[in-house]
Amino acid sequence: MASLAFLQSNAIADLLNNTEWGFAVAECFHIVFFAVAIGTIMIVDLRLLGLAFPRTTAAKLHHDTWVYTLIGLTVTVFAGMALFLSAPRMYSLSGWFQFKAIALFVAIIYNYTIHYKVASSSPSRGVGVVVGMISVLLWVAVVTGGLFVGLLA
Amino acid sequence: MSLYSIFESIQNTSLMTGVEQTPWVYPIIMAIHLSCIAVFGGMILMTDLRLLGLALRDQSIADVVGGLRPFKRIGFVIMVTCGLLMAGSEAPTYYPNPYFWTKMILLLLVGVHALIFKPIVYDHPEELDKAPLIPVRAKVAAVLSLILWVSIPLCGRLIGYYEPNEGKAPQSSNLRRLTKP
Repeated sequence: MASLAFLQSNAIADLLNNTEWGFAVAECFHIVFFAVAIGTIMIVDLRLLGLAFPRTTAAKLHHDTWVYTLIGLTVTVFAGMALFLSAPRMYSLSGWFQFKAIALFVAIIYNYTIHYKVASSSPSRGVGVVVGMISVLLWVAVVTGGLFVGLLA
Repeated sequence: MSLYSIFESIQNTSLMTGVEQTPWVYPIIMAIHLSCIAVFGGMILMTDLRLLGLALRDQSIADVVGGLRPFKRIGFVIMVTCGLLMAGSEAPTYYPNPYFWTKMILLLLVGVHALIFKPIVYDHPEELDKAPLIPVRAKVAAVLSLILWVSIPLCGRLIGYYEPNEGKAPQSSNLRRLTKP
């Protein structure tokens, strides 16, 4: 708890807590860039699931979207860290925040390991469906966890 | 009958009171609403970036527009339905909120955008692929769409920051963050 108390007093917390729009602006960046990241990942997932882009491959779509995914995730994570630093004690004690953090960690690891490997190859329909479905569920879990942090903390 | 009394009547319907008073219903509807915004909003952004020639350049415009269209439509219907249920369950609270009305106007503009650009851009993506350069009308449609679809979720989030007594966004406090947006 001492480390959380230390984190509580930081320049970012001051900026977000003591300015009128600081928290809202950080939250807006968090939401918009998260949509960019999720949107691009879902485009690849739709192909893996066989639901869209039948004339191209998942590998090609992954190649075309990975930069936007990376930018989206990077801004989202940094904005999210800033939001966390505005009230680290409160967030750390939230079960939903812990759920979201774990889901996000697993989703990112999954995205850059299994998802990347399968999307970059020519997977069978069955493998593509399973990998795409797990990806969708992981990211929906992240969104849901993030929402419940605010609603039910 | 004033507009405010109409808002009160909407909130007092059995459907809306059920949404507001049944445990977990409001948060679940909001979770679906936000999940749809993340997933389908992202698809809208990527479609617009393709029209601008900034992303998915190895995919034809027809493939991107046509491939994502059914999912965007499904997502839009779910988003709007969930949004109506959330707004209706607290309609009188939303009534004085300027961000709510801004969001409604922006959604109306999305309709106007579709009326203008669907016949000349989105219904004929093959023509855009055949053109040596992406036509200006397609780029204008994409820029306006980007502006609209970035502004709409931002206004949606800012709805939660409005405090009617002050008439402006409050200093961000932990208490405010934990209330319904």
